[in-house]
Amino acid sequence: MTFKLNRRTALGMALAAPAILRSTSAFAAGELRVMAWEGYADDDWVKEFESESGAKVNVVFIGTDDEIWAKIKGSEGKDFDVFAVNTAQLQRYIDGGLTTPHDLAKIPNQQMVLPRFRDLSQVKGVMRDGKVHAIPFCFDSIGLIYDKDKVNPPPDSFEIFWDPKYKGKILAYDNGEHNFSFTALTMGIEDPFHLSDEQMAKIKDKLIALKQNVLSFYTTPDEALQLYKNNDVALIWANYGQQQVKAMKDAGANIEYVNPKEGALAWLDTWAMTNGVQDVDLAEAWVNFLLQKKISGQLSERTGFGNTVVETGSAGANDKLVWLDFVEDPTKRSDLWNEIKAQP
Amino acid sequence: MLFVGSGRKGPGPFVLACLSYGLPLIFIIAPLASFLTYSFFHMENGQIVRGFSLANYQRFFTDAIFIPVLWRTCVLCFSVAALATLIGFPVAFLLSTLKGRMRYYLLLMVLVPLLMSYIIKIYSIRSILGGNGFLNRFLLWTGLIEKPLTLFVFNLNAVLLTLTVLLIPFAILPIFLSLERIPRTLIDASSDLGASGLQTFVRIVLPLSLPGVITAATFVFVLAIGDFLTPQMVGGQSGFTFGRIVYSQFGTAFNWPFGAALSAILAVVVIAVIAAGGRFNRQRP
Repeated sequence: MTFKLNRRTALGMALAAPAILRSTSAFAAGELRVMAWEGYADDDWVKEFESESGAKVNVVFIGTDDEIWAKIKGSEGKDFDVFAVNTAQLQRYIDGGLTTPHDLAKIPNQQMVLPRFRDLSQVKGVMRDGKVHAIPFCFDSIGLIYDKDKVNPPPDSFEIFWDPKYKGKILAYDNGEHNFSFTALTMGIEDPFHLSDEQMAKIKDKLIALKQNVLSFYTTPDEALQLYKNNDVALIWANYGQQQVKAMKDAGANIEYVNPKEGALAWLDTWAMTNGVQDVDLAEAWVNFLLQKKISGQLSERTGFGNTVVETGSAGANDKLVWLDFVEDPTKRSDLWNEIKAQP
Repeated sequence: MLFVGSGRKGPGPFVLACLSYGLPLIFIIAPLASFLTYSFFHMENGQIVRGFSLANYQRFFTDAIFIPVLWRTCVLCFSVAALATLIGFPVAFLLSTLKGRMRYYLLLMVLVPLLMSYIIKIYSIRSILGGNGFLNRFLLWTGLIEKPLTLFVFNLNAVLLTLTVLLIPFAILPIFLSLERIPRTLIDASSDLGASGLQTFVRIVLPLSLPGVITAATFVFVLAIGDFLTPQMVGGQSGFTFGRIVYSQFGTAFNWPFGAALSAILAVVVIAVIAAGGRFNRQRP
């Protein structure tokens, strides 16, 4: 058993204990059991929802995708009513029958969300067999950060990463999976998550060329910032999106963020109801409550992530976003990535 | 035998013996054995298959990337060992010539960097080496160069330099100990017999300190070859080392058996180097 103790899990454990104890006893009506990432169910929102609905809300915070799976699958959906999960992960919950489809009539605020998220059949992964299994809530894109003093005119594609003009001035991210996906998009491949061997071979060559052009491959936002400060860096592949933009702007960097025209990889977190949901109306009310302009706006102010209701820096109205999905063979991508890095 | 002649009967010595054999067994031998066992497993459809297979070792020898990277890493680490020893020797020599408390105060100063977190040291070295880092700004300021040098910016040179700086204390210590053990009388005898300072150094001090030098070089090599963090942090796009391949097998690739096999191969290299060092030291009179 591996067990990572961080703030999130510590908090999760403290809050989970009473939830587990309660799960064996009979439930009083008007109690909502929520599992969420930190920042998705802040205290002031919970209080407001409690006074509006008259129900009691218990929130358990989780720290990893695997933890959500362990808790939902472990109780066969009985310990929680509603949980936050990204669209890629969501699929195994639907497969396992661990979700209850939403009734959109009970979530009127879903009609007011940004156009991108209004027609749920256009949001990959949230619907199955005509039923809505999850409501989009929070997202961020992996775009391009450029230094306004060094890059002119503003870039509109990751193609600029191969421009010899910026040799040694580019920071890329040290992850084979994502690098294959974004390069596939740059090369105009429709589905970057399911590549054929032939496509992979082509992308590998292109990534070897990319390697020659970059200064370094970073792993954490802090690391990227430090590299930016001490080197002549013009372009950054922003794995950490707005979080990274904010940290760099706070440090006084004259930078801008753009989603490339070929499409930016992006993650999307949603709200799903478990198959063990006790009070469907209450769970729907919770989701509806969060989809208000005020709450979703605060979410973005506090976390830096994009929301589905108010426009944010994560994506402009016309930006193309490609929701992250599981890739065909992570091990193969990682092996190829090692081969690329091992090139002299 | 460990406790012969203690003269005391009772469970005390027995418990102590159990501890002194048992702890290394549990905390060193057992984990290593489990590693070795894992290296014979293999992956199928993302699951570890627990059956004997030589596939991992076969892959190491047939795939074109692993041996060149291992070789490059070895060359790099030999260079680190040579540099650290070359720089460490004069420092250790100076320390050994000092008298009284002063030598231990200074020795302590040399070891102070070891008290500091490894990560913090790498981060500070990064801000020294970068394109607009301290080193380049200083050289620009002195007028020695006109535009920033890229010689030490995120490449194998930077890894070499950083590892050397980080590991120098490990080179100084064994050399200092071997120099300190040289009997004062030998040196006095040498000068009584009319040898110059240089002659004494070359004919007496240097040969007698060689075991320490070899130990230092071995020590530094072993520490350098196991490091995956420094190449990651200062190696940029060209500083790819064997340690980073091993690391990636446990992280992104999620291929523990192959990672275990690569670690076992790395362990063989390390053991060979230590054995060679030990053999060299034993052969000397």
